[in-house]
Amino acid sequence: MTGAMVGLTQASVRFGARTVIDRLSFTVPVGRSLAILGPNGRGKTTALRAMLGFQRLDAGSRTAPAIVGYVPQSSASNQRLKAIDIAVMGRAAHLGLFRQPGEQDFAVARSALDRTGAARFADEPFDRLSGGERQLVLLARALATGSPVLVLDEPGAALDLHNQQRLLVLLESLRQERHKAIVFTTHDPNHALAAADDALLMLPDGSALFGSVEEMMTPAHLERLYGVPMRLVDLHGPSGVRHKAVLPAFAGARAA
Amino acid sequence: MTSRLPATMTHVRKALVGLALCAAFAVHPVLAEEIVFKDQTGRELRLAKPAERVVSIVIPMASTLIALDGGTSKLVGMNPTAKSAITQGILGKIFPQARDIASDVTSPSFVPNVEALAAVNPDLVVQWGSEGEDKVAPLVNAGLNTMLILYGTEELTRDYMTMAAKAIGRPERIGQLVDWRDSVQKEIAAKVAAIPEDKKPRVLYLGRALTDLRASGTKGNYTEWSVELAGGRNAAAELAGTVSINKEQIATWNPDVILLNAFEADLDPNWVYNDPIVSLTNAARNHKVYKLPLGGYRWDPPSQESPLSWMWMANLLHPEIFHYDLRAQMKQAYKTLYNYDLADADIDGILWVAKQGDATDYQQFKTR
Amino acid sequence: MSSVSEGLAVSRRSREWTRTTLVFAALLALFFVSLLVSICAGRFGVPVGRALALVWQGATDPSRPLTAMDERIVLLVRAPRVLLAAMAGAGLAVCGAALQGVFRNPLVSPDILGISQGAAFGGALAIMLGIWGLPLIAMVFLTGMAALVAVGFLARVDGRTETVTVILSGLVVSSMFAAVVSLLQFVADPESSLPAIVYWLMGSFASATWERTLIAAPGLLIGAALLWSLRFRLNILSLEEAEAKSLGAKTERERWLVFGLVAVIVGSQVAVSGIVGWIGIVIPHAARLLVGHDHRVMLPASIVLGATFTIIIDTLARTATAAEIPLGVITALVGAPIFAVLLRRHYRERSSR
Repeated sequence: MTGAMVGLTQASVRFGARTVIDRLSFTVPVGRSLAILGPNGRGKTTALRAMLGFQRLDAGSRTAPAIVGYVPQSSASNQRLKAIDIAVMGRAAHLGLFRQPGEQDFAVARSALDRTGAARFADEPFDRLSGGERQLVLLARALATGSPVLVLDEPGAALDLHNQQRLLVLLESLRQERHKAIVFTTHDPNHALAAADDALLMLPDGSALFGSVEEMMTPAHLERLYGVPMRLVDLHGPSGVRHKAVLPAFAGARAA
Repeated sequence: MTSRLPATMTHVRKALVGLALCAAFAVHPVLAEEIVFKDQTGRELRLAKPAERVVSIVIPMASTLIALDGGTSKLVGMNPTAKSAITQGILGKIFPQARDIASDVTSPSFVPNVEALAAVNPDLVVQWGSEGEDKVAPLVNAGLNTMLILYGTEELTRDYMTMAAKAIGRPERIGQLVDWRDSVQKEIAAKVAAIPEDKKPRVLYLGRALTDLRASGTKGNYTEWSVELAGGRNAAAELAGTVSINKEQIATWNPDVILLNAFEADLDPNWVYNDPIVSLTNAARNHKVYKLPLGGYRWDPPSQESPLSWMWMANLLHPEIFHYDLRAQMKQAYKTLYNYDLADADIDGILWVAKQGDATDYQQFKTR
Repeated sequence: MSSVSEGLAVSRRSREWTRTTLVFAALLALFFVSLLVSICAGRFGVPVGRALALVWQGATDPSRPLTAMDERIVLLVRAPRVLLAAMAGAGLAVCGAALQGVFRNPLVSPDILGISQGAAFGGALAIMLGIWGLPLIAMVFLTGMAALVAVGFLARVDGRTETVTVILSGLVVSSMFAAVVSLLQFVADPESSLPAIVYWLMGSFASATWERTLIAAPGLLIGAALLWSLRFRLNILSLEEAEAKSLGAKTERERWLVFGLVAVIVGSQVAVSGIVGWIGIVIPHAARLLVGHDHRVMLPASIVLGATFTIIIDTLARTATAAEIPLGVITALVGAPIFAVLLRRHYRERSSR
């Protein structure tokens, strides 16, 4: 899948008088992972939707393959289907209008569920699963499409810490495979540090900054982004490897 | 006072008074007094003088009023289904002006059109009292004199015909018509009383056949009553009221005689003979399928020609017992009712001789 | 993943599969039994053995002339009627299921959305203008489609639409068409068109002959077959707009395909049997209760259940009394209370989420 990528070129979207995104450009080729950061209401979702083709552009263009592996934040529809039935929906484009999924399609769906760690509840109804488990099923569906692009809408937002970690580990392992172009939006800069190569900062003044995670995750940039002083700290991770983490200035208590 | 007029003067005076009174009678054939009566739902009607402009929402009454009045001058509005009987049947020939009488004053299902009614300015409206208040209220609210009548039995029919005759100032007409009905009914009933139940043929009257198949139980249904008067048994007696039926049910009843309604102009006995199911009934196999005639009005519902209908039925159901000379009876009746001399061709048309002349026992109705 | 949990999952899967298979076997058995019972049942008594023998003869030697009353009753009156009822019931049920998927709403059906009424208007207009046969069916299809367009426009189907909005739009459209049909009745010739229109609107399989059944069959069977093969696609179409599009569905176009097929089925059904209500809403729900929400099994279940249900109620309508009980009476008596229960359950679930 060389040459496949996803991105926007000089894209602008206006809602009435308000310009939500202004001449935004970025690309994510296969093998790279991008985190889109920004406070609410600054165009993260709009940029995501524009990339997916759900938002009409007033200027500029979008690049994406025909099918994008989209992982919504939640899925209110089809609650009562089993996880495997949801995952196999990813094969829809492959099957066309009138065909039914067969052995092969279910095998692809099952291996996708396997990949996301959701295989053990494959036959459970979707609405009986926890929020975290549902995310994994939706991610499996996106993988089952076979698309070289994965787009996730605030994947960690509604999850508890345990599930956030599970998801981030998964995203990181997908990134390491270097088979896909991965884009996700997030509130939390640590997600970018955990699972992205590049970061796109959608700044409050309407401009955007794009660069590698190392370049973007600086206290100066982040303070510009959130309007809150940020600190970068070094940690020792669970396996002893050194980690970087970002904390808002108000985090932590004064040591005695 | 002792002075007296000469005896001759007294006579002359009496004669003059008598003449004056006669003159008065001649100019006003009916005494100019108020007509007061109760209609069949008990409502009181007051007419200052006999009605001159009558609308009949009730279907058969249009032709009855024409018959009672001897002309169309008093009828200013009728039901579209009455109009079709006139245009298709002999009344339109006898009274061509009847074709011009308004029929937009009501829908076929007796819903009054108040604007059209206002346009013809009636002084009396005849409406069914048994079709619901929402079909009466618009008339009453418009301030129209409304005479409500009820359907279903011979008693009610005689009663409302008498009422109508009074209302239009022709009470002298109704007496002979009622007497005729009474004598024919009694005559037929007397002979039928002697017929054992199992000798009475089972008769199915199809109120509708072309779109929906409809038949009725006996209670409150005039045609079925006529059938029983004429010595038949209603094959559909188990039904409650008038309902839709299906062909399988007709096969189950397997009637001996089938009577087809006169409402559906396109319905004739061939419908029975061409139908794979109905053509296998006793009635069809024995060619005892008869469409009710359309005379001055259709012979299914109650009308001024009902006795002819009963004679027709009796002759067909019991040819061994009843031998009415129907053609002669019709000529006489039409003279009395409409002052019209029926031609043989007219009679053939009324009795549908062309459609069913070769049905069993129909030979008796043909010209000698 | 441990082999124990894998083993458990496999055995659960096979139990599920077995359960579904059993349910379908039962449904199909019920369908065939009801088919046979209906052929044997009727006001004109025909012994069971004789009736079945006649069916066999009729199937194996269709050109044999039928002379006896019982032959004609079984093969010319009951057989086409039972088949028409089955096809119409299956068609209406699958339409209801498909519409419920596309509108993401379990409370819609062809008659609730006004499609049946729109189709009936086309038929009434055709009758008034003296148009019969294939042109009548074409008109019925067009006006049914028009009703669908009107509802789609009113309810603004793209994006998430409220349950109530869709039902109200359906109410508006069905009332509008019903009103126009009333108007037509007023204008129609009381001798010929009017009784035909009135009877038509009532909804009944009583006028089923082989001719009419064979006229309606292509639309009913082909439409239902195509909707059946769209069963997986319906899972996709019943997702949120963005999700469906991301999986490759051309949502607008595919929705209109479903609508077109629904119009063909409903048009064929209304053209020969008038407005038949409630089946489209009640049967898919019953199917969901039996086999779940996955359209891949729910649609076929709706088809079989719809056919069976309609055969049974039509047999009741023509056999219970000497009179023909209007089909609408029975379907409403069964359907309305069930719809009420569905409505309550829908709102209870919504408030608890």
